[in-house]
Amino acid sequence: MAFAWKASGLTYNKYLSVAARVVRRSLKDDKRLAAERRGEMELRFAKWNNGKQGDMKSLADANAASMAEAAGT
Amino acid sequence: MLSRAARPALRAGAAVSARPVAPNAATFATLREIEDRLKSIRNIEKITKTMKIVASTKLTRAQRAMTESRQYGMTSNTVFENAETKPIEGEDKKTLIVVASSDKGLCGGIHSGLSKCVRRMLVANPNCDIVVVGEKCKAQLSRSNGRNVVLNFGGIGKDIPTFTDAQAIADQISLLPGDYASIQIVYNKFINATSYEATPIEAFSEEAIASSPNFSAFEIDDEVLANLREYALSNSLFWALAEGHACEQSARRNAMDNASKNAGDMITKYQILFNRTRQAVITGELVEIITGAAASEE
Repeated sequence: MAFAWKASGLTYNKYLSVAARVVRRSLKDDKRLAAERRGEMELRFAKWNNGKQGDMKSLADANAASMAEAAGT
Repeated sequence: MLSRAARPALRAGAAVSARPVAPNAATFATLREIEDRLKSIRNIEKITKTMKIVASTKLTRAQRAMTESRQYGMTSNTVFENAETKPIEGEDKKTLIVVASSDKGLCGGIHSGLSKCVRRMLVANPNCDIVVVGEKCKAQLSRSNGRNVVLNFGGIGKDIPTFTDAQAIADQISLLPGDYASIQIVYNKFINATSYEATPIEAFSEEAIASSPNFSAFEIDDEVLANLREYALSNSLFWALAEGHACEQSARRNAMDNASKNAGDMITKYQILFNRTRQAVITGELVEIITGAAASEE
């Protein structure tokens, strides 16, 4: 069983969050605002190398970038 | 000549001893100083009280989120219970420890409790990598085990953690280059309003799931297994984050409660000191006036 989203480099979690976003956006206005607040994410992260912290980056951007990279291969 | 020169010094010495002395000479302070200190303690009490109220209101929401997410996480883990999945023992594969703390302090010892638990785990099994969620534990763990840290996340703990947070973290974790035998998520377990315990939950690797004794009870395609693993990881993370958040709010409420109580104690103590000093000053002044009057009468 091959999945189209897997072939395009998405992980299952990313696939789920895209699906969830679509569902949230299709809600009625009053419920949509509350639901979309649950979908917000502004985490930052940093990679560590040998006990030293790297730069803080936005997690959303980094995830999108890595997905795009995986799609290329 | 000598006697005249010594006289002003003598007079100055007499003036010093005549000045009123506070009841306990060790913390000798003038009235103004005590008043200033009282004011600042009152301000601090106001702040801690407000923080306590904020934390209590957040706590009810956080607790609701916690019970829901705990139910959710446990349901997700039922699969592994039924399949009797066990982590793969020993060998040379690394374990990944995910620490679920947060960015904010002022909440007692819950962050250091997590760090201590992680350090104990590292002593028992030094072949571990650490992923730290939250700035507080990062600061503590980078000092002692900086070499083991591979990733850290910040910006968590402003509000109740959402599943989107957990998913994004799980994604980044699954992108890590290392191949991990098991993933332990360390979080604060909410026992009751005053006690929390740093506990690990297990998130299994694909091989561990595939080699679980009762695996044949489920019909799972090999390709889907990776999805299940990722999904279970984010489920467990969500559970850990939400429960950790509730613990933090509850701990902050307690800490601020204690702080306000201590501030109240200090205020009463300083109030008494202030009143005593004031009385001593008045008595001293009265004595001066009376002796002055008596001296001028003669």
